Amino acid sequence: MKLFGSATRAEELPEAALSAMLGRALWPRLAVGLAVLLGVALLAAAIGPVAIPADAVARIILSRLPGVSLADSLPQSWQDIVWEVRLPRVVIAGLVGATLAFSGATYQAVFRNPLADPYLIGVAAGAGLGATAVMVSPLDASVGGVSLVPLAAFAGALTAVALAYALARVGRTVPTVTLILAGVAISSIATSATSFLMISHSQRVLTTLTWLLGGFNLSEWSKLWWVLPYVLPAAVIILLHGRILNVLQLDEEQAQQLGVNVEQVKLLLLGAASLATAAAVSVSGIIGFVGLIVPHTVRLLWGPDHRQLLPMSMVVGAAFLILADMLARTVNSPSEVPVGIITAFCGAPFFLYLLRLRQRAVF
Amino acid sequence: MTSLVKRGLLLLALVLALAAAVACGGGGGEPGPEASPTVLAAVQVSYPLTIADTVGREVTIEAQPQRIASLSPAATETLFAIGAGDQVIAVDKFSNYPKKATTREQLDAFEPNLEAIAAVQPDLVLLFYDPGELAASLERLGITTAVLGSVEETPESVAAVFDQIRLLGQMTDHVQEAEELVADMQGRIDAIEEALADVEQGSRIFHEVDATLYTAAPASFVGGLYKILKAQNIAAEADQPFPQLSQEVIIEGDPEVIILADGDYGESPDTVKARPGWENISAVRNDRIFVIDPDIVSRAGPRLVEALETLAEYLYPERFE
Repeated sequence: MKLFGSATRAEELPEAALSAMLGRALWPRLAVGLAVLLGVALLAAAIGPVAIPADAVARIILSRLPGVSLADSLPQSWQDIVWEVRLPRVVIAGLVGATLAFSGATYQAVFRNPLADPYLIGVAAGAGLGATAVMVSPLDASVGGVSLVPLAAFAGALTAVALAYALARVGRTVPTVTLILAGVAISSIATSATSFLMISHSQRVLTTLTWLLGGFNLSEWSKLWWVLPYVLPAAVIILLHGRILNVLQLDEEQAQQLGVNVEQVKLLLLGAASLATAAAVSVSGIIGFVGLIVPHTVRLLWGPDHRQLLPMSMVVGAAFLILADMLARTVNSPSEVPVGIITAFCGAPFFLYLLRLRQRAVF
Repeated sequence: MTSLVKRGLLLLALVLALAAAVACGGGGGEPGPEASPTVLAAVQVSYPLTIADTVGREVTIEAQPQRIASLSPAATETLFAIGAGDQVIAVDKFSNYPKKATTREQLDAFEPNLEAIAAVQPDLVLLFYDPGELAASLERLGITTAVLGSVEETPESVAAVFDQIRLLGQMTDHVQEAEELVADMQGRIDAIEEALADVEQGSRIFHEVDATLYTAAPASFVGGLYKILKAQNIAAEADQPFPQLSQEVIIEGDPEVIILADGDYGESPDTVKARPGWENISAVRNDRIFVIDPDIVSRAGPRLVEALETLAEYLYPERFE
């Protein structure tokens, strides 16, 4: 029963030793990671299907600072492209990448299942159904300034997770195995309904399929407001629970004896991760692979302690998705490639390479 | 594929040769364009008729079809336009034009149900797409089936559409009406081309297929229409017929006219104007964003000319009303 075995080996190391190692390693590592992330973001802002010189990009960005005007001589189209299209794209891709990665790490920890990803209990399938239902309908794209597709995706995702949670409830507890099974069942119902909608509105297949594969082509600054209000609190809550997630890797009963209110923690962490993922998916579509593999990559590189796994997953997830999105808009220029295709196609080989490199297997 | 097209063209040449022969033998007059309709009236289709459909299947029609099931909106429009509407007993659910077509029994073209098609007892089924073995299954049931392929990815749109109209005229024994329809369409296209004869290069255009920025590149049917109108398609560099353009490519391409084929799905000039980063695009600044009915720009039917005339008005308001 590998499937439901421990995802990590945190229990093999005494807590004190781990703490000491972590104290030495986390902050410098995090600082380097953030610096690399910033570099990746700037690189992505400078590269796109429209060739804009790097110094022009820098001048356009700096001109946004109060009192600086370096971009006046540059074409208006470049300023619009860099500021209204590329930068929001980079920022939102980073935010979504970080969210999927820390949510994936949380799911893997709570379910103690290495195959868990943030879509496991219905977020993706529910969001897909909600978004598809709006996309095949003749409804206006937005009502009163609120875009309907992200709204429907968000509502669909939360409904699916809430249903799975309610169905898996046994008395006052929610056994994780039951929750996974309920989530998988809800997901297949939502997925088949989505497929039916796509088939019966065949003239919209391209639109819906593209959304389902995920992408950032339509990013704009206002979409930050779809994501930030959920992602920021969720990230804070989850980061504060690193130690408790380490304890949860033990038997649930043992964790209970150590004073952890297991049911309450599970509800809080899964709720936070699901809410954040639902918000991310509502603006980006269903980008696969990031939430599954980024936490494993971080674990392979720097070990299983959740106090470093969670923040480092955020940094690596953000950088990874920003790079993947850069490829999405350049490899087939002037056309887009759905970013979900890139994440799996480029990310999986790298992960396999890591897996082979490190002889100690995670699973 | 090309050899199959050739076969179709050969057949067409045969019909035209026959028409010319009748013309020469009959009156001895010049077979001028005005004379041709009456002359063609003499061409009676004789059944059984064997034709090659657009996927190269040999189709033998035993007698003039009286119970046609048209699972192609384009074929439906053409059949009604050439006077074969009374021979149509069933259509697919996207056959929404002309109005009369919607009174026929409805079938599904994308998830076709063999039983449902057989149940209307058609003597000819027209498909524009065979989702695997449907034509063969229908033939096994003794139902004559022809596939008239979609022309969405055919840039030589006009020629392809004329071919299909003539083929349908033959199959249903409405050769004269088909020729008249083609002649009328050709005349209207000629009028547009004439009006644009002195245009060197038209406006830069962006044709929006959906709100995720799928567009119609020159390699598509719609793209072919814009070529006739001498428009510069900002998706010219894309190699697929229907690419999804990066948003920044559209801003840099600075289209002077934006045509929305996604008006049915909530997009409008106002939603386009509200997109961040689009406010300095020429089409947005000059308020030249127009909505077009996606049906008329994507169907290989008689309304192709309507699409062309509508687009001509959008692109050259000073030359067309």
